[in-house]
Amino acid sequence: MSNTVDDKIKTFDTRTTSRVPVESPLTYSYRRSGAPAPGKGSGAVLRERPFLGHLVLRGGAIVLDEALRAVLDISLPGEPQALVVDASGERSVQWISPDEWLLIVPGGEEFELENRLRGALGDAHFAITNVGGGQTVIDLEGDAASELLMKSVVYDVHPHHFPVGKGVTTVFAKTSVILRRPTETRWELVVRRSFADYIYRWLLDAGEEYAIGVER
Amino acid sequence: MSQPNRLARGGRLDRSRELSFTFNGQSYRGYPGDTLASALLANGVDIVNRSFKYSRPRGIVAAGAEEPNAVVQLGSTEAAQVPNVRATQQALFEGLEARSTNGWPNVQRDLMGVIGKLGGQFMPPGFYYKTFMAPASMWMTYEKYIRKSAGLGRSPMEKDPDSYDHVNRHCDVLVIGAGPAGLSAALAAGRSGALVILADEQEEMGGSLLDSRELLDERPAEQWAAAALEELAGLDNVLLLPRTTANGYHDHNFVTLHERRTEHLGETAPQAGGRRQVRSRLHRVRAGRVVLATGAHERPLVYGNNDVPGNLQAGAVSSYIRRYGVVPGNKLVLSTSNDHAYRAALDWAESGREVVAIADARPEPAGELVEQARAKGIRIIPGAAVLEARGQNRVTGARVARVDLEGFRVAGEAESLECDTIASSGGYSPVIHLASHTGARPTWRDDILGFVPNLVEGVLAAGGAQGVYATSDVLADGWSSGARAAGETGFDALEAQLPHVEARHESGSVALYQVPHEKPTLRGPKQFVDLQNDVTAAAIEVATREGFESIEHVKRYTAMGFGTDQGKLGNINGMAIAARCLGRSIPEVGTTVFRPNYTPVTFGAVVGRHCRELFDPERYTAMHQWHVEHGAEFEDVGQWKRPWYFPRRVEGRMESMHEAVARECRAVREKVGILDASTLGKIDIQGPDAREFLGRVYTNKWAKLAPGRVRYGLMCKDDGMVMDDGTTSCLGENHFLMTTSTGGAATVLEWLEVWHQTEWPELEVYFNSVTDHWATMTVTGPEARKLLAEITDIDLDREAFKFMDWREGMVADVPARVFRISFTGELAYEINVQANYALHVWETLFAHGEKYDLTPYGTETMHVLRAEKGFIIAGQDTDGSVTPEDLGMYWAIGYDKPFSWIGKRALTRPDTARTDRKQLVGLKPRNPEVVLEEGAQIVFDPDHAIPMPMKGHVTSSYYSPTLDSGFALAVVKGGQQRMGETVYLPMADGQVHEAEIVSPIFVDPKGERQNV
Repeated sequence: MSNTVDDKIKTFDTRTTSRVPVESPLTYSYRRSGAPAPGKGSGAVLRERPFLGHLVLRGGAIVLDEALRAVLDISLPGEPQALVVDASGERSVQWISPDEWLLIVPGGEEFELENRLRGALGDAHFAITNVGGGQTVIDLEGDAASELLMKSVVYDVHPHHFPVGKGVTTVFAKTSVILRRPTETRWELVVRRSFADYIYRWLLDAGEEYAIGVER
Repeated sequence: MSQPNRLARGGRLDRSRELSFTFNGQSYRGYPGDTLASALLANGVDIVNRSFKYSRPRGIVAAGAEEPNAVVQLGSTEAAQVPNVRATQQALFEGLEARSTNGWPNVQRDLMGVIGKLGGQFMPPGFYYKTFMAPASMWMTYEKYIRKSAGLGRSPMEKDPDSYDHVNRHCDVLVIGAGPAGLSAALAAGRSGALVILADEQEEMGGSLLDSRELLDERPAEQWAAAALEELAGLDNVLLLPRTTANGYHDHNFVTLHERRTEHLGETAPQAGGRRQVRSRLHRVRAGRVVLATGAHERPLVYGNNDVPGNLQAGAVSSYIRRYGVVPGNKLVLSTSNDHAYRAALDWAESGREVVAIADARPEPAGELVEQARAKGIRIIPGAAVLEARGQNRVTGARVARVDLEGFRVAGEAESLECDTIASSGGYSPVIHLASHTGARPTWRDDILGFVPNLVEGVLAAGGAQGVYATSDVLADGWSSGARAAGETGFDALEAQLPHVEARHESGSVALYQVPHEKPTLRGPKQFVDLQNDVTAAAIEVATREGFESIEHVKRYTAMGFGTDQGKLGNINGMAIAARCLGRSIPEVGTTVFRPNYTPVTFGAVVGRHCRELFDPERYTAMHQWHVEHGAEFEDVGQWKRPWYFPRRVEGRMESMHEAVARECRAVREKVGILDASTLGKIDIQGPDAREFLGRVYTNKWAKLAPGRVRYGLMCKDDGMVMDDGTTSCLGENHFLMTTSTGGAATVLEWLEVWHQTEWPELEVYFNSVTDHWATMTVTGPEARKLLAEITDIDLDREAFKFMDWREGMVADVPARVFRISFTGELAYEINVQANYALHVWETLFAHGEKYDLTPYGTETMHVLRAEKGFIIAGQDTDGSVTPEDLGMYWAIGYDKPFSWIGKRALTRPDTARTDRKQLVGLKPRNPEVVLEEGAQIVFDPDHAIPMPMKGHVTSSYYSPTLDSGFALAVVKGGQQRMGETVYLPMADGQVHEAEIVSPIFVDPKGERQNV
């Protein structure tokens, strides 16, 4: 029994090629709460990276690693809480749990990638789920970014404890986020669509004292 | 106005400018560096409050967190009101306005004084339980009176203009207290490279070094403190948090620190850089090791009228003189049991004021400080103590006599001394509050006459906090604790570098708590133990006579230690008095323990940003903005905001909810309506064993569900009770999409994972939440097919796309999965699109829907429509005690499935097999205008004597525009066998409704409408 045969698993490209209006999870938030422009004194700058391709990979690390290296030329992080970013910085894969990884790629790549991965994985036991409509990425940069995070997440974000290349799922205010540190200066929050407005408003409120700005 | 008690020089003040402030409406002046208390003393203000029970005038007693009397209300405006502020901890700022929390019309001439003195008669020990408990109906009145007269201030009635934060911090070593022990510990840990947080509750760090008479490395102690702080401030790995109280030690070295960032600057947070600063922060610190360097509190002696203003702690006198340049009086009598308190007399004399005498309870005092006092010619009365203070609004004298400590009696003639200040010291109590938050009982040590903490793993105590008092010992103890804490978190401490401190000879202390009086305790002048709660030595004696022997009972009976000061000054004295009365030792009597918070924490800091719009997450669907713009009223479903109904303006008037819901219901039954169903939980299930897994977690059968088909599923807990329901679609042979109730989404996903991971790991299946990925819109009603056909390429022919089929295709140029399932009983299509396109699809439906009168409807209409069809809502019609059989859903129970699905075995228990269980039925009120109350109890015999046997209750009830009648779903004992019978619903207002038991399916029992 295989996951790759068409009538076994129903893959579905949820993107349209028609030019129809599309709204990121923060569209409503910008309208309702505004988006203060970043200034010179902004200690924190927030930017949504909407419409990316988000795939959840479930399965054994060895087979997923082989498939990922074959298809995307990046390797699966074997260590818990690790994040691997490709050379372009546009594709990443993050350990989520012992049999779960989050793959984020430029928007529009995900359907073809899913099919290629399914092809490479063959008869292995795995699952690939497209969750791109359900989550978005919020970048956070600036001198006060980590202080802002300390007001928001319980996890220790001190550089000793949270080096570049780490990612965790943690409590954020009264919800949860996936928090990652792809570079020295940039934090990424992967947030669920329905919670995005709450998280946005929280960041604006907690970031007010750092003159938080929003890049759009 | 002059400051009569201000010294010409000295104190850690900025005398280059003056600050003005008001207390009880009177204007005064002070200096930057003052606390409100030191400024009041400088201005000669004696009375700062009236006491709780007896309304006696009270003055400032202490100089720190332990102050019981000077609890004030701050704020010049309503919004800025802050209750419960200890004047001893409030820095003075320009324009500060403070009031006594008790005393009306003013503390000087108190009308309540007369009433209070009478009131005191009604508040004997145990008043909480005796006087005020009966009659119970009066308790509300008493409570109001007690609260008002308790003098604990009031909360603001207007919105707080300030903002507050929580900050999560992690460190290797948290040092609490920045006195000699804490500074030394922080230096040891900081120099090792460990991440260190040093928190101190005072305006300035340095603790006892700031008013010390000692030299460290030949320099005044305060200079060593300044140098240590400078070094610490320069270390990147050390965070200094001044004005920060460790208010609670919680499990696993989780400590909450309350940092007051702007309370020294103004009553509300001033602006900085154009933005209002955060007023206070609660640091939630998770530390590798915690060093408690919290020092010790001085114990006052318990003697007659020891509450009259002018009675102070000896150490407080030194603090006021040395730190604040204030001598709180002219003529001092000191009553002490130890050497250390002699500092007060020396500092007093050096300020140029008169020390009348020192009553020393020890027969032969002989330490170094004693000799210094003798050298100054100060009169020392050995073996003696102050028996009683004289005066009403201010001390006017002291009666001093020789006392026999062993025999607890006065041993000589009392001598009256004229004075205006009595300083007392009965020794020192280590500040063990945080250590006892762990629940660990402290241990009494006779050698230091105090309780020392028992420490749980990861917590260390240093210096005064564990009864180490000599400065050189304190510094060494601090260093070794800091070094040990760092070592235990993986850092190597450097060689100890400690300043040289001249060793000082001190003679031993004696145990003296309550001073004997010529009269028995019950007849003599009041000897206060707990000043904040007006608990006297006599009250404790009464409690023990009435049979309260446990110290916890004595505490509750007398209210000792119940105040906001938690008995910081009084508790040990109270225990000692109880011990004396019971003829036991202090360790035998034991101690009460302290709870968080160490000092009151403002609610703002507790709440942080979790307030107002951010109180709780609000989850929105992708169409939320449309709902807002179209006037939806919202309902909270879990954390989701779901449109409840969409009221319209009809003939210039907004519809009521009833009118809107009736209109929406008719639209669905007659034309077409649309519901945002995005909040339903959606779980993508993949794997060769997905079908087998579904068969095990659902009660019904899944073996033959073909791709392209959908089935309703019912899920039980292992106790056989219904847990959730929903539809699951077969997407492919190994691929399913499960839906859950809105509120059950997370629970169901966890449930699936638990069973997979713990019971059936051999099944090859994975579950992933796709709730947020898909937006779902339900188009339902007779015109639904025509509307959808306009914007989709899917063949909607009734034979090609049947009820309980799903198809994929384009809807409004967007890839969609459409499910032909119905929760309304009408023809219905649930359209799922990737959420980012949802608003476009929704609006396209409306663009085409106008000619069909497409009507948006909310959850209320959804409820009415589904209840008319007898469709249950898990959690509303079920409550964790309802089986599928109770619901009459035998068609959804696969009794003969090969694998014993979750809950199956429980259905054969004798209790679940009973025939008189509460079963789901419909109820039709005899009067169609009646809409029964949800939750109403059902009886069979309305004439039965009360208590009537209750036979069931209403679970869902609405008005149905289709039936033009109220109708309800209910659970009734044996209800499935009682069709047609009449039941009764007695209401709280005396009415009794009648209703007929009917089938729960009220509309279209054959299901023809959804199959068209």
